[in-house]
Amino acid sequence: MAKRPKKSKSSRLNTFLKKLDALRPRAFAFFLDWATWGYIAYAVMYFLNQYWYTWYVDWYGTLVLPAWGWPIVVLATLELTILMHAFGHGIGMSLFGLKLVTTDADYPTRKQRRRRFLWMHVSLVMLPLAFVRTRQDGVTLHDQRSGTQMKAWKDVKDALPARKPRAWLKTQFGLMTLVLIGVTFWLGWEITEIDLSMLFSRAGMSARIWKDLVNPDFVHFFQPDPTLGQSIVQGLIESIFIALLATLAGGIIAFPLSFLGARNIMGFSPLAWLVYAIMRAFFNIFRSIESILWAVIFAVWVGFGPFAGVLALTLHTIAALGKLFSEQVEGIDPGPLEAIASTGGRRVDVVLFGVIPQIIPSYLAFSLYRWDINIRMATVIALVGGGGIGRILFYYKNQVGFLTNAWNQVGAVVIAIVAVVWLLDYISGRVREKII
Amino acid sequence: MKDRYYAGFMQDMPPWMQNFRHIRRPLFAFLVDFVALVYTWTIVSFIYNTYAHGVASYTTLPWWLMLIVAVEAAALWENFGISPGMKLLGIRVATADAKPPRRVLARVVRFLVWHVSGLPLVGYILTKKGLAWHDLASGLRIVSHEEMETRRLPWYRQSWSVAVAVMLVSTIIAAFLVTKVDWYALVTNAGKTVNIWKAFFSPDWSLLGIGFRLLLVTIFMAFMATVFGVVVAVPLSFLAARNLTQGVVGRTVYITVRTVMSVTRSIEPIIWAIIFVVWVRVGAFPGVMALLVHSIADLTKLYSERLESIDPGPVEAIRATGGTKLQVILYGIIPQIINPYLSFTLYRWDINVRMATIIGLVGGGGIGQRLMQYTRVWQWSAASMMMILIMLVVWVMDYSSSRLRARLM
Amino acid sequence: MDHLLAVENLTKIYARGEVLALDDMSFAVARGEFLVLIGLSGSGKSTLLRCINRLIEPTAGKVTFDGADVTQASPRELRRVRRRMAMIFQHFNLVKRSTVLTNVLSGKLGYMSPWTSAAHKFSRADIDKAMANLERVGIPEQAYKRANELSGGQQQRVGIARALMQEPDLLMADEPVSALDPATSHSVMQYLEVMNREDGVTVMASLHFLGLARRYGTRILALKDGQIVFEGLPSDIDEVRFREIYGEEAEEVEVL
Repeated sequence: MAKRPKKSKSSRLNTFLKKLDALRPRAFAFFLDWATWGYIAYAVMYFLNQYWYTWYVDWYGTLVLPAWGWPIVVLATLELTILMHAFGHGIGMSLFGLKLVTTDADYPTRKQRRRRFLWMHVSLVMLPLAFVRTRQDGVTLHDQRSGTQMKAWKDVKDALPARKPRAWLKTQFGLMTLVLIGVTFWLGWEITEIDLSMLFSRAGMSARIWKDLVNPDFVHFFQPDPTLGQSIVQGLIESIFIALLATLAGGIIAFPLSFLGARNIMGFSPLAWLVYAIMRAFFNIFRSIESILWAVIFAVWVGFGPFAGVLALTLHTIAALGKLFSEQVEGIDPGPLEAIASTGGRRVDVVLFGVIPQIIPSYLAFSLYRWDINIRMATVIALVGGGGIGRILFYYKNQVGFLTNAWNQVGAVVIAIVAVVWLLDYISGRVREKII
Repeated sequence: MKDRYYAGFMQDMPPWMQNFRHIRRPLFAFLVDFVALVYTWTIVSFIYNTYAHGVASYTTLPWWLMLIVAVEAAALWENFGISPGMKLLGIRVATADAKPPRRVLARVVRFLVWHVSGLPLVGYILTKKGLAWHDLASGLRIVSHEEMETRRLPWYRQSWSVAVAVMLVSTIIAAFLVTKVDWYALVTNAGKTVNIWKAFFSPDWSLLGIGFRLLLVTIFMAFMATVFGVVVAVPLSFLAARNLTQGVVGRTVYITVRTVMSVTRSIEPIIWAIIFVVWVRVGAFPGVMALLVHSIADLTKLYSERLESIDPGPVEAIRATGGTKLQVILYGIIPQIINPYLSFTLYRWDINVRMATIIGLVGGGGIGQRLMQYTRVWQWSAASMMMILIMLVVWVMDYSSSRLRARLM
Repeated sequence: MDHLLAVENLTKIYARGEVLALDDMSFAVARGEFLVLIGLSGSGKSTLLRCINRLIEPTAGKVTFDGADVTQASPRELRRVRRRMAMIFQHFNLVKRSTVLTNVLSGKLGYMSPWTSAAHKFSRADIDKAMANLERVGIPEQAYKRANELSGGQQQRVGIARALMQEPDLLMADEPVSALDPATSHSVMQYLEVMNREDGVTVMASLHFLGLARRYGTRILALKDGQIVFEGLPSDIDEVRFREIYGEEAEEVEVL
């Protein structure tokens, strides 16, 4: 008989992890539902403030709740969630594909649900103890006591006796979704202070702007503006070059980094995993901060001007392209890699001959796409001192009231930007089509 | 060319215009070469002027002289070698039996006659089958590169690839000059940012509450813009889909919608915000409006592209059962597009949240506006609190929306 | 030692779900044999082949190739062993965007130093040999095309040419023809047969169709649930054996 793998020594840890694994979707579902109820509670209180206790509303129009109020809200939402998980089938359970069934694969009776509801309180109050009492397959204390089980819907689908499905809107999931959308819309309307009447009452204001904007004044198209020392064309060239350098530098740096951020290349040794995690965290963090915010920092660092813009865009490009690239690397066809490994190739050979030929076209396409985005960003990055055509745009915009033709000049700049963005968008689109 | 249009809208080309089909590639090749030469010359002049005279000027020759030189150089290149344009469009100059011309004289003749026939275009239009006057005179012709046997040469022995290399290198040099790359400042001024970095690791936690509320405003701005955007963009997308707009009226509508949307889309939301801030005052509302305008344009484009790529099979089947136009849309088209539409919408919401954070910079409300105020007065620890919150929400949105989208697809 | 390859007590358990893919398998392959592995999908054929050159790490057991212990080999030794046992795949596993020639030349990577391979500098002799191998499999004119422009049968021939570049002692073929139509199947199998007869390469091929196995194999190994259920000559497989291997409801189909 062959050697079978020995049972892991750390079986206690294994049991713990297994329990955690079994409980994870249920915990997520629970927290999601709790958060949903919390959100609804927030909305309710917001409306109470808005329409009832109006004297409490501060400048931001948000809730002022006395200190003793918060525990009540928290407990009440928790209670609602428990209720939902015992008697109903809410958003969390639907999204995570869970279903409450009895041990003999049937729908739970009302009595069982009631028992589950009560025992859930016990479980929650002494959470660690309840976790210890949880069986390895994830049957919790309240499940054991009520004879129910939370199972994955796809596992019990066939065992359960058939029932006529309800109309989408009549399910709890549908209702909750509808309520959520409605509440969100209302809240959004209030919070963002939407006031459609203002669009019309101040239409005259905008009409003046529009009239000037569509009568652009191209006087400084080629002729540099003496105050700015730059013409529109020069500004455009600057913006294009900012985007170009940022894309180039970003792409070149992101290329090697993308391999470090790809699971399948890095393998699963602890060190590799660490590098992978660091790379991924870097990509995600730096990507989530818009390049214009980076420009704020770089403008302090290297002074106002196009170079600050280049650095800001480069940083953002590295992160954005790094993520896209490493996803490409993770999605490659593993067949050729296997083939090259089987001929006795090294890891380097596998990357050079198996990975790189597969990813080069999409790398180019993504870089071009990024160039498009960078050009758009380069037009506005001047707002915080990044240089380029945006500097001219915001300069003229700030001259409104001082220069009679300020809006006309803004119009000219905007038209120039549109033309360039459009043209380069079109070209890069065509090239991308050809590459892929 | 013809089958790109629907029957009844476009007629056959008149014969003289059909010549265009043969001369399209040589003409475009010439255009490409010309533009490439002018571009390279301008860039090299710029570099030269910057280094030699310290002036940021793009000209060394009078513009008319430069244009003449570029035309002549392009013509020489195309007759005596393989130019980038010829490479790009896949054409070569060859003898009648598709061999590389051996006699230089033929090339010289072609080059000279080209000034009479090719440059003023008459030689192209007044001939048949793409053989222009200069082709007839020299006995050479333009052939597709597939018809010719090609030798493989290293890149540095081919003029076009050398030219491309020169173009790339000079572009990068010029880019460095134009954007005033200053490594010195990057290194020496690093000390200036110490305070910023320090502040980022000690955010002002007392602003957590306010920051959170402002964040909520930002998220709702994105949400409202997306919801309204969808409401407007869905019907518009049907008007902007090439396969659903037929006939003269339909095509006019299609072109109008597409153009307007594409212009709107190329104006950044932040620029829209400038206009709306003047229009409806500072606050979250102009931010919503700016995002809304951009969302409509972007969503219309995404939606209509999806509509253009639907499977015509079900549509045909429903039409075959005698369905009305509305039924065709309801049962043939909508089931096909509902999931992609949802996924595009989520994607757009995700983008809108990002945009909403920066729209505040020009007075569009939300957390961005506050962040901008803090950075203006260099309150970095307050700014870092805002940035952390922005980061958090963007990351959460990004993650959850990509998970949801993966499920929808 | 006249066995080229010896497999002793080879076991593979996939950690996820704890599937027993190979169950304590032992057999030997003689030099110059054309060994055919048959069995249902999931019976462990692919896993067995990949455990032999350790594309998949076996859980337990020992593989000896020409006297060298493969299972204990260091990465360096493993590469040395791997370049002597070539492999061709069901889905060809070509780099689709590279040229056919590059794909064939990649068979030589195991012999090259990392620097020459990083610079994509193949020697003149290697290129000539690659062209000769392409000629042998009958597609010299396709050398400069991209691999994805070729038909399935042609792609598999590129796979064979790549294997030929390695000058292998053992050729492992993992369902080489199951993605091909019957006529092309035979032509691909004939190339394997030629390699076996003329170059003296030992071949180990897993096949789906018994007809092909009977026609080309000198010996047959039948797997079921990770165990060897039959070992012997192709002619020994009768109706009863067949049902044993493929299950009660199976029925033999003829390929051409």
